[in-house]
Amino acid sequence: MKTRDITIRAGRSLKKAKARTLLTSLAIAVGAFTITLSLAAGDGGRAYTDQIFSSNADVRELIVTKEQPSAQKGPQKYSENSSNIATPFGSTSVLSQNDIEKIKTVSGVIDVIPNYNPQVKYISGVNQDKYIATITIFSPNVTLEYAAGSISGNLSDNEIILTEEYVQALGYKSSQDSIGKSVIIVADKLSAPITNPESKSYTYTVKAVSSKSGLAFRSQSSLLISEDSAKALYDYANIGTRNYDKFLVAAVRVDNAGDAKIVKDRLTSMGYFAQTAADLLGVINTFINVLQGILLGFGALAILTSVFGIINTQYISVLERTQQIGLMKALGMRRRDVGRLFKLEAAWIGLLGGSIGSGLAYIAGTVANPFISKALDLDDIYLLIFNPLNIVLVIAGLVLVSVVSGILPARKAAKLNPIEALRTE
Amino acid sequence: MIEVKNVSKTYGKKDNAFMALSDVSFTIPKGASVAILGKSGSGKSTLMHIMSGLDKPESGEVIIGGRNILQIKQKEIDRFRSRSMSFIFQSFFIQANESCYDNVSLPLEIADVAPSRRRAKIESALRAVELFDKMKSRARDLSGGQKQRLAVARAIVNNPQILFADEPTGNLDSTTGAVIEDLLFDYNKKNNITLVVVTHDSDLANRCDIQINIKDGKIDKITGGKK
Repeated sequence: MKTRDITIRAGRSLKKAKARTLLTSLAIAVGAFTITLSLAAGDGGRAYTDQIFSSNADVRELIVTKEQPSAQKGPQKYSENSSNIATPFGSTSVLSQNDIEKIKTVSGVIDVIPNYNPQVKYISGVNQDKYIATITIFSPNVTLEYAAGSISGNLSDNEIILTEEYVQALGYKSSQDSIGKSVIIVADKLSAPITNPESKSYTYTVKAVSSKSGLAFRSQSSLLISEDSAKALYDYANIGTRNYDKFLVAAVRVDNAGDAKIVKDRLTSMGYFAQTAADLLGVINTFINVLQGILLGFGALAILTSVFGIINTQYISVLERTQQIGLMKALGMRRRDVGRLFKLEAAWIGLLGGSIGSGLAYIAGTVANPFISKALDLDDIYLLIFNPLNIVLVIAGLVLVSVVSGILPARKAAKLNPIEALRTE
Repeated sequence: MIEVKNVSKTYGKKDNAFMALSDVSFTIPKGASVAILGKSGSGKSTLMHIMSGLDKPESGEVIIGGRNILQIKQKEIDRFRSRSMSFIFQSFFIQANESCYDNVSLPLEIADVAPSRRRAKIESALRAVELFDKMKSRARDLSGGQKQRLAVARAIVNNPQILFADEPTGNLDSTTGAVIEDLLFDYNKKNNITLVVVTHDSDLANRCDIQINIKDGKIDKITGGKK
């Protein structure tokens, strides 16, 4: 008997028992729904963290600190060359200029940029109003979204990237209007005696305005300038103080993302604590994977339950159709084909259940996406990403599971003795 | 031609053994109509099952067209049954939920007849039993006589060489039963196929060329046949 004819007959006998077919399919649909959603959530979550990282971290950059004394036990002995900075988390060892030079010599390292974090007094623009600001060093490898202007390659010295909030505060009509205009940043010399304060103003040209993003952790008050500009500010403000040229963290640039791990190992062996962007991404992705695994487990459990449902339904179907099976065998239908008939029925149930479940998951996810994003303040980023290939695989997998579940009832049907089956009364 | 030689069949084991057929032999010429006559439990149904390859006896041979069907593989017997034999049962065994068309289509599907060649065969079979206008009706909506006519259509659609009818009129009143009988004997004569009727109805048996009387698993007597 041809597969086409068997498939049609299998579909027809399912149509006869509509309620039973639908209910059995719904059990699978629950599993399909859960699995499709958890796959979508996993994909969405990973894509989200990837985006967060490309907006905040540079994969060719390692964040390096001195090995933390908190990792050691008990108070530390004082020594002449130990220098610490008090933080809310305790005393922290800092990187000296010496360390920076040492790290620069490590093979694979292109550049070491100490975290200058220059403290500035205020920023002012066209309306002469003064605002507090945080200055950060621009990295060409961190993806930014621009409201106006754009940067190709690195930022030149004495150029600045404002944020949308500052554009308004500093008195520009629009982001576009601010491009090319000058802003002034004033820094205090920290070592100057309090009775005779010194300060210096620096002028920067607005090169671009970064827009607010659901992905960036960077605060809206953080303005970007080039490394050298930052160093100039830092030097002016800190020279002559105890903490001059001592840094909590430094960014180490490497040639390409693949080298980051090797350089990390080298730095670790030298007694530094280094973290790559991949390390941080890995932590978050592990978390997502565990959550996804739990969800998938629930889905698998639902499918396991539905397997018994299919077996049960198909056994009942075989019993109900004893005479039909007997007749078909008397008419010369082969055992193999009788078995295939029932396995294909199970396959139809799996296809139906898988399609219903995945379809509902897709609809529910698509409808829920904007609400989730709104609730989590993610703007236009969706946390559920439905990959068509995943949906196809889920449905195909469930068809396979159903066929396997149908094997036992199908065998019973195939083994049925036609004489017994056709005996009347 | 069907040759049955020394067929014996036992059901059950040891103490409960029951000999359904013991050393049964006879020959049916091609194109004949044969009645296997006997009371309930005489072994007549078992004999039909063995002749059609549905059941296997402990000993003996069933030779159809020169081949002993008890010696060939199950796959071959299935193919043989799908192409050369067909059945009519007392309880019709039609699929109530399917249309008449799909009911008649089943043997063609099993015999792997190409889909394009099915329609003409199904239509001519339904026309032969005067159910052409009911082609799209569901089988459950038919009367008893119509159901058995549908079963006849299903039996003849693939032009079998041998047609087995197990109490074909047992569930019908005499008028509708007569219609079925006429259909079967007409088909038997027109197409020169072998018709084997299993019955306990002597009136029906008497319309056949040969009557084989079975009693307690043995051949009681064979009448007719020598024309």
